[in-house]
Amino acid sequence: MAKPLSSTVDKGVANSGALVSAFARQIVPIAPILVLIVVFLIWPIVNVAAKAFEDNNGNFTLDNFVVASQGVYAQAFGNSISLGIYSALLASIPGAAFAYIIESRGSEFLKRIINSATSVLAISGGVPLAFMFIAAFGVEGSATVLLKFIGLDLYASGFTLFSYWGLVLVYCFFQIPIMVLVFSPAVQALRKEWTEAARSLGASKWQYWRHVGIPLLFPSFSASFLLLFASAFSAYATARAMTVGTIALVPLMIGTLVDGNVIVDQFNLGKALAIGMVLVTAVAMVPYLLIQRRVARWQK
Amino acid sequence: MKRLGFKLPSAGLFITVLLAGIFVLLPLGSASEYSFRTPMFGPGTYGWDNYAWFVSQPDFGTYVTLSLMLAAVAAAITLFVLVPTVVWLNLRGQRLRPLMEFLTLLPLVIPVVALAIGAQTSLPVELQSNQYSLSFFYFVLALPYTYRTLDIGIRAIPLKTLSEAARSLGASQIKVIALVLAPVVRGAVIASVFLTIALSLGEFTLTSLLHWQTFTTWVTVISQSNILGAIALSVFTIVAAFALLLVVGLVSIRTKRRQVTEE
Repeated sequence: MAKPLSSTVDKGVANSGALVSAFARQIVPIAPILVLIVVFLIWPIVNVAAKAFEDNNGNFTLDNFVVASQGVYAQAFGNSISLGIYSALLASIPGAAFAYIIESRGSEFLKRIINSATSVLAISGGVPLAFMFIAAFGVEGSATVLLKFIGLDLYASGFTLFSYWGLVLVYCFFQIPIMVLVFSPAVQALRKEWTEAARSLGASKWQYWRHVGIPLLFPSFSASFLLLFASAFSAYATARAMTVGTIALVPLMIGTLVDGNVIVDQFNLGKALAIGMVLVTAVAMVPYLLIQRRVARWQK
Repeated sequence: MKRLGFKLPSAGLFITVLLAGIFVLLPLGSASEYSFRTPMFGPGTYGWDNYAWFVSQPDFGTYVTLSLMLAAVAAAITLFVLVPTVVWLNLRGQRLRPLMEFLTLLPLVIPVVALAIGAQTSLPVELQSNQYSLSFFYFVLALPYTYRTLDIGIRAIPLKTLSEAARSLGASQIKVIALVLAPVVRGAVIASVFLTIALSLGEFTLTSLLHWQTFTTWVTVISQSNILGAIALSVFTIVAAFALLLVVGLVSIRTKRRQVTEE
């Protein structure tokens, strides 16, 4: 790993500045992208974090966090977290199964088409998706009519699209594609030789999965699950277009605070809520990073 | 013969693809049917009226053009900043890869609403009042997808060997990049540029919270006066994205096939 450094030293710049200059040589080519990431991502968030600890006069306070963790805001965090968990649960298993079948059995052509399709569904979603579902699964939508025709009456049990579970259903439409997108590389890395080795040693199909397949895929599966959680937890556009503030979700609350539609005593409450969200996703993403590092060892 | 793990009968594949088709086409087809309804001419009638309506809106052209311009700038940043970075990381910058992997994951950790607040309070007014600052945000938000797409595509290619071979045959640095490296990374580059465009065209959260009006936020505006028009516009958006992806997918297949035959 230390090769670039030592080779620089070999070339005869072996003084105390060699290490620094070697580092500089490494960092300069990626400087443009670092600048963009700092200006358009890190600096704004550092700012939010700092302001979250300020009262209206700019003095240090913890009040914003106290309010953000109580009452309606605590409830919103609960709703958002459970929305993240449920939609990740519902999307991860079919997504993983789909990724496995396509990767292990599909032709190159099919894989490419599916890869592009999942990218588009995963990334461009949001608002058009919400309107599409309103049209399809609304009371008069033909999907509703069709499902009723085959015996699935969505509205019989008091379901509405503009409810918590309606939102979970719609989220699946971008969550499953995300799952396929992030889980496929793990399936690709499963080597055919391992199946053959297991078979030649006399393993049954069940034994293969029990001792080889699932242990190898499980870390990637849980990492993808965490990613799905973070994505649903912080999704804003779909929820905003579908519910008109009927369900308390943290991103929507922050949105109304930013818009200035709601006046609160504390100017910086929205920032404390935002930092609360960052903390929740960070808690989910730390195990993700650790798992990915472990997985990287055999995915070579 | 007993089949293990990897092989599934093609019936299984067929059913899977069928289910995926239903998953996509049930809502999409049903919404399309809805978008052709014309209740103003009586129940059960169909026509292109909802589509004609949004096309005839004076704002339609304005916002389509604006969104395409913003997407083009974001795509240009991907092309001229991200692509060289990833190529370089794969050639010489191995040590910095963990750092880049972490940084490009951050947009998934930091909720876009939180970023929007930060952008409002921390960026200089000159930057905020320029609409093209959105393109830079779109570029950053797309990084988790674009960086990984590029990195996976480029890592598979022995860039170092290829460039050393070209150099030893007397090619200049520029020739190495233009004639050797650029053609082999083309597929991954096209895919990442396309992802940037898809994200830019669909981005809503940051755009609306920073009080800009683009094609996507315009849909929510017209939905308040004409829900059928908004549904027609949404179907149009999704179908257009699918059409675009089909073209990109076919192009990248063709390049891949040619690479294979050239080998």
